[in-house]
Amino acid sequence: MNYLNPQYSLLLDPFSLFFLFVIFLISLPSAVYAVGYMKNEYTAKKITYGWFLFAAFVFSMAAVVTTANAFVFLVFWEIMSLVSYFLVVFDTGKKQSVNAGALYIIMTHIGTAFIIAAFILMYKHSGSFEFSAIKNAAALMTSSEKNLIFAFLLIGFGTKAGVVPLHLWLPYAHPQAPSHISSVMSGVMIKIAIYGLVRFVFFVLGVNSLWWGNIVLLIAAISCLVGVIYALMEHDIKKLLAYHSVENIGIILFGVGAAMVFIKLNMPVLAVLALSAGLYHLINHAVFKSLLFLCAGSVYKATGLRDMEKMGGLIKFMPWTAAFFLFGALAISAIPPFNGFVSEWLVFQSFFAGALNCPTAGARIMMGIYASVLALTGGLAAACFVKAFGITFLAMPRSKNAQEAKEAPFSMKISMAFLAILTLVLGLAAPFILKIISNIAVTATGPNQTGIWPPVFSLKEFTTLPSSNGLIGISPVLILLMLVVTVGITVALVYVFARKRKVSTGLTWDCGYYKLDSRTEYTATAFSKPFRIAFSFFLKPYTKTEKIKESQYHIKSFRYELYNTYVFKKYFYKLGLEITLRAARYLKRLQAGSIHLYIAYIFLAILVLMFFYGK
Amino acid sequence: MNMIMVLIVLMTFIMVLSKRITPLVNSFAVQSLFLAVIVFSEAVTTGLAGLYAIAFLILTLKAVFIPKMLKNVATRTKAGEHLGLVINPMLSIVCAVILAYLGWIFARKIMGLTSIADASALAVSLSIMLTGLFIMVFRLKAIAQVVGLLVMENGIFLAAVALCGNMPFFFEIAIFFDVFICVLILGIFVYRINSLFTHINLSKLNTLKG
Amino acid sequence: MKLFNAALQLSVLIIIAPLLSGIIRKIKNNLRLRVGPGIFQPYYNIAKLFSKDEVISVNSSCIFRIAPYVVLSSSVAALALVPAFMPQISFWAAGDFLAVIFLLALGRFFLALAGLDTGSSFGGMGSSREMFISSFVEPAAILAIFAVSVAGGTTNMASLSLVSFVRPSAIVAAVAFFIVLLAETSRLPIDNQETHLELTMIHEAMVLEYSGPSLALIDMAAHIKQILFMTIAVNAVLPPAVSNVLLPFAPLSGFAFYCLKILIVGTCVALLEVSIAKMRLFRSVDFLLFGFLLSAITFIIAILGF
Repeated sequence: MNYLNPQYSLLLDPFSLFFLFVIFLISLPSAVYAVGYMKNEYTAKKITYGWFLFAAFVFSMAAVVTTANAFVFLVFWEIMSLVSYFLVVFDTGKKQSVNAGALYIIMTHIGTAFIIAAFILMYKHSGSFEFSAIKNAAALMTSSEKNLIFAFLLIGFGTKAGVVPLHLWLPYAHPQAPSHISSVMSGVMIKIAIYGLVRFVFFVLGVNSLWWGNIVLLIAAISCLVGVIYALMEHDIKKLLAYHSVENIGIILFGVGAAMVFIKLNMPVLAVLALSAGLYHLINHAVFKSLLFLCAGSVYKATGLRDMEKMGGLIKFMPWTAAFFLFGALAISAIPPFNGFVSEWLVFQSFFAGALNCPTAGARIMMGIYASVLALTGGLAAACFVKAFGITFLAMPRSKNAQEAKEAPFSMKISMAFLAILTLVLGLAAPFILKIISNIAVTATGPNQTGIWPPVFSLKEFTTLPSSNGLIGISPVLILLMLVVTVGITVALVYVFARKRKVSTGLTWDCGYYKLDSRTEYTATAFSKPFRIAFSFFLKPYTKTEKIKESQYHIKSFRYELYNTYVFKKYFYKLGLEITLRAARYLKRLQAGSIHLYIAYIFLAILVLMFFYGK
Repeated sequence: MNMIMVLIVLMTFIMVLSKRITPLVNSFAVQSLFLAVIVFSEAVTTGLAGLYAIAFLILTLKAVFIPKMLKNVATRTKAGEHLGLVINPMLSIVCAVILAYLGWIFARKIMGLTSIADASALAVSLSIMLTGLFIMVFRLKAIAQVVGLLVMENGIFLAAVALCGNMPFFFEIAIFFDVFICVLILGIFVYRINSLFTHINLSKLNTLKG
Repeated sequence: MKLFNAALQLSVLIIIAPLLSGIIRKIKNNLRLRVGPGIFQPYYNIAKLFSKDEVISVNSSCIFRIAPYVVLSSSVAALALVPAFMPQISFWAAGDFLAVIFLLALGRFFLALAGLDTGSSFGGMGSSREMFISSFVEPAAILAIFAVSVAGGTTNMASLSLVSFVRPSAIVAAVAFFIVLLAETSRLPIDNQETHLELTMIHEAMVLEYSGPSLALIDMAAHIKQILFMTIAVNAVLPPAVSNVLLPFAPLSGFAFYCLKILIVGTCVALLEVSIAKMRLFRSVDFLLFGFLLSAITFIIAILGF
């Protein structure tokens, strides 16, 4: 029973420290934000309860990343899931919250079941739950056992991370939680799943087969596309952001999967590059996603709405929130010089380097295809955030709630400001940060077959990439400098040449129709209509219309409802649920309700045991 | 000792044969009486004081008190004497014989061919246990369940005493109290079930099925 | 010295950008057997706009006011990263072609926001369509340049221009990139620069509300974007290094060769614009998908070594 006496030593290697840093980097602003957010929303007792849960949440996550014992890992993983469940259903009054929480807890426990299965398989070989013991035993496991363990780990951690097709809980749970919790959940908790995956696959098991990396890349590509396409169709701000989390987990997994492939193909330099790209995107996503969720929460607190279609013109009432949301939107769309651009650039570079250097032509072509998938998602994400920012903050207010919005209180503003500045800093300081992150990635990918540790990267000199007969590099600082200089010159030119012009305000061009108001503005549904049509093979939209006619020629009212078919929900989950329920109904016949039958079962069991004893 | 074992098996068969509550309970009382005699003789041969107490307990509780209580419950509930047989008595006897045979095979397997006496003791107790289960399964009235449970308990006692010659005293007392409370509660329940549903036919429970 | 050369190249490119638009329009008009305005008309337009007053919509916010500056500066910054006349003359330390694409995305982001800012449906429609078209163009562009960069072994645009011979994959890449160029510079068959019907506009609809110097800045940005894409297209097929092989007298001959290449591409664009009609928006997706397939084929060919 030695697993009940784990070693209570902390595992503080660079990898854990990195995640610990991410946890606290995001939890701190969220906590400051929560002060202002919860102030008038809940009773004092509930606020205390909320703070307790928040502290427990952060503590459990910190404990998960710093333990070196799989059993303790599991215990704190469960605590983390449980506490986050209570946080998701924090608004217990709303039925949606309760349903979302139920779905979340069921799915996360299914994932945990797979993780437990993987751990038990590892324990069977190593006889102990310590990471070091499992690592030593990993050399003795057969290949098929390692494959099975990897499959279980992927499903288990993938459920928590929100990869497709296990992402169903994410768009339900993240919007329902209070905004500071959504930011921590989306910014940190799904990254803990990535921590688990990388820790167990890279550090403990060691990458065994090529198909591991390939399947991670494939899942990542699917997650990217599915996430961003569904995000484009959403009009609830927080649900939109939740789908973007699915997409960005896909990008992180691009880096991780590419690293797995490169390790197996014995290209450690590229593996470090890919893993650094993944980890950099991890911290970037944590920062800008939590920033966006905090802004969404601020909008929700001001207007009481989450539906984009009822907002508008908020930039005039909430300029700070709008500015921070703009920072977040620019960061997530990979616009230079923000941090999203740097990490996506790194992922592109790792794909490109793979396309140059992989041994088989098939692998190289796949790398190129994945790069184009990433480009597509980048473009779609930018479109989605133009929609989100434009419809929510610009033009005229579309409802009374939006008209009466007020700016967020100070504690909320300062936490959003901190994260917004951080997006810029993480982008501009990229060379410095990449050095740190690649040092961390080197500990994960380990030395190559001959025991040589790969050199670490810096952004300015990518000369370590083989077969590059030139220098590649980007310098976000220089880009920002160029932009600023050009703007300065332009402003000077305009001032010099157009000094005498008069700037007056007038009505928007209305094509002769003089009653333009918020009803004639462009709507979010209309903005995403081209995408809905282009991706209709996947979204399968359908409409329900209802006409009420006064007479044969005159229609009094027309009701139009537009739905998307959620293919994963319909074909994957509903089907699974149907099969399970049908099997359960079939098995129900065993339970006839008669005591005699039950005792007869026991009787039969005893007879069978007696009969077969000793055989 | 062997004679009394044979008598116990005989009583078991009579229990299986009975179509009404009163014979069932009476034969159970007699079986318990025989069991008490066996325990007493064992106590005399080994001289352990605990076994005397146990014999006395079996005599008072299982041979006198519990049957009286059961008969009391039966008359109060006015459930009717009929036990609600699922299998007719002839077939029940055949089943009981088969169970006894199964018990014998199993006992031989465990004990080996060397110690015939022990094997036969184990066989008898097994057959009593299985018959107790049989009564629980194939008789519809609630009282039959109680009696079946008690018969099973008799079988376990017999196995313990005949094979080991002793039973840890506390263990014995604990089981006794267990069974006592069980029967008490079951008696109360049967009464209440009857007052609510006006019958104690357990096969009607499947109307509760969802 | 290198920095000075790069700045000089950038300034020259900025100055001749409107001229290129004028020349293309002149060619189109000549093909239509019309006279039309002269080739320096874009310059006169910009000067005229600088002298006009500006009217800003009452519904708009600061995004509307800063968008023209952001669009122009992002286009200029992107142009600075691309070598045109001489190989390796650009601000290559700041970024490679991915930086170019994403800088243009910055400009597009703000322009789309400005379209939504005024609260007019035309602007919203333009923004929606622009983001739609560009999200399908980006994969094609990136994959095409990836394919060409396979030869150079790096994604740096400066090194791209070091390649000293023409590869078959580069020619197919140039065709794919030509399609990208049509989409990004709002040329037929994707978008019509000369239409006055708001429902058929993509780029023009976003800037419908702009007037005065802001409109001049946005027009300038469009010219610069055009010359940027044409430069990339010609430099992919016939890199400037070829010019070094072909001719001596380095800077001037490079400049002359570059102008020749640009004129050829401009003529192709003009010919295409005159002879084809604008596609329906959702049919243009198929067109862009064809462009993406071409890029993919190019990539596969380049990987296989051609």
